[in-house]
Amino acid sequence: MSDVVEKTLTALPGLLSLDSQPGSNKLSSSSKLGNLIRGITELTSKHEEEKLIQRELTSIKEQVSSPNTSMRQMKELMVRAIYCEMLGYEASFSYIHAIKLAQQGTAREKRVGYLAVSLFLNESHELLLLLVNTVLKDLQSTNLIEVCMALTVVGQIFPKDMIPAILPLVEEKLNHPKEIIRRKAVLALYKFYLIAPNQVQHIHNKFRKALCDKDPGVMTASLHIYLQLIEENPEGYKDLTTSFVTILKQVVGGKLPMDFNYHSVPAPWLQIQLLRILCLLGKNDQSTSEIMYEVLDESLRRAEINHNITYAILFECVKCIYTIHPKSELLEKAAKCIGNFVLSPKINLKYLGLKALTYVVQQDPKLALQHQMTIIECLDHPDLIIKRETLELLFRITNAQNVTVIVDKMLEFLRINKDDYTTIDLRMERKL
Amino acid sequence: MIRFLLLFSRQGKLRLQKWFTPMTEREKKKITRDMTTMVLSRQPRSCNFLHWKDLKIIYKRYASLYFCLAIENGENELIALEVIHRYVELLDKYFGNVCELDIIFNFEKAYFILDEFLMGGEIQETSKQMVNRSIEASDMLQETMEEYMSKPAF
Repeated sequence: MSDVVEKTLTALPGLLSLDSQPGSNKLSSSSKLGNLIRGITELTSKHEEEKLIQRELTSIKEQVSSPNTSMRQMKELMVRAIYCEMLGYEASFSYIHAIKLAQQGTAREKRVGYLAVSLFLNESHELLLLLVNTVLKDLQSTNLIEVCMALTVVGQIFPKDMIPAILPLVEEKLNHPKEIIRRKAVLALYKFYLIAPNQVQHIHNKFRKALCDKDPGVMTASLHIYLQLIEENPEGYKDLTTSFVTILKQVVGGKLPMDFNYHSVPAPWLQIQLLRILCLLGKNDQSTSEIMYEVLDESLRRAEINHNITYAILFECVKCIYTIHPKSELLEKAAKCIGNFVLSPKINLKYLGLKALTYVVQQDPKLALQHQMTIIECLDHPDLIIKRETLELLFRITNAQNVTVIVDKMLEFLRINKDDYTTIDLRMERKL
Repeated sequence: MIRFLLLFSRQGKLRLQKWFTPMTEREKKKITRDMTTMVLSRQPRSCNFLHWKDLKIIYKRYASLYFCLAIENGENELIALEVIHRYVELLDKYFGNVCELDIIFNFEKAYFILDEFLMGGEIQETSKQMVNRSIEASDMLQETMEEYMSKPAF
């Protein structure tokens, strides 16, 4: 979008609305929600808080059941009810009104209604059936914002039995000219796949279309579904390997619009999804793995900036390299990477390094030995989490020589940290 | 997949809760209690990752707010940390120098942004502009002249 349009769009909310703070609508100090929140923060005891909330809830209950309450007032009442529920108090009388708000309100009220429904109800709630009608209506609305809202709610909470009723409508949205709607439709289908996989079987070829969609957002959304499908049946999707490799190449090569950069790394979450998919496809399969070597090498090279997100990508890369059919140059580079992690002073990276070592130690025991001094140091690290990871690692590299020392350390650890450590315990006993 | 996202203050007061899998109220309360106790008792310079039952908990503190995310075991912890950071960046862009008060008093807007950003427990890789634009479009749409003329409800 051009600069001018961009600026206009950002300025419009300020011009139109009375709440003219940049982007946000800051609550005026006389608002009811503001008063409630302020009231709560001033109280000191739980008992007083209970009393205040109960009073509030009674007042809300009265107002929601009154026939004179307008939808606009209802919206405000719902927000307060959400707040009370968040603090842990039950406001189930408001659930039905939330659905009504979503049904009857204008777009702004509808949005709060849908939000309230997604926060209040769960998948097995009986009121959910009432929601289905509202959603069906909104999906067919000419107002795109309403379609978006309906798709968002479908992606969050939807009863399994009603999927057949809504499936055709969601399917047709896959071809919508607006990419935000296509993307939300894909995500809604992903949700359907998670809760009722057999209902969505027949539209797999539509996912392929989404994968080739010219908008990267829609394409990324389809990857969630593909990851699930491939996890269950890698063989069926090997023919897509070249497509995935091509996409990853383009992303790493910076061919996506600048918009998708996160701290100058192009589309990191997309890269990670692709790496995970490639990992599953290349496992135990030499020919498929060979297609990926080049792009993995490229990813390793590109991820050199010192930022958490690049380390995250490197970690996935390394994991992928060690899972697929081995190639010595890549393994060397990956080993160096792991070394850097373990030796890093940053505690989060050390954790990842230990985790990676645990993962690769079966294939490359020498790597762990190379870093054994650091590993021993980690044993006495003040942070319990690091200690635990180190123990997991040590357990895997136990041999006849060091078993006594390691078992001693483990027992010591168990003494200070009474957590769910029965797994290590059992494994220990089996080994001994 | 992300299982839940919680935001709470240093005193353990819940500011935002988002659950991506169905849970009973009792379970939610228990989990919230466990999370606040666990995270608030962590030392300042320790690892941002915790183990809890069969999940991994990633937490990060921004000023007076703790952001707490739970992911399943196969997931990459560092990326979850970046998910939190990205959400904070989006909030910052929307509210303009966001602070805890913004989130407390406008929590439904924080939810709207979250819904555009995370769906079904997975992140939607959209550009930052896209998320902001869709929120702004929704914000803008509702300001009809009629509403502009009359007093806002809140």
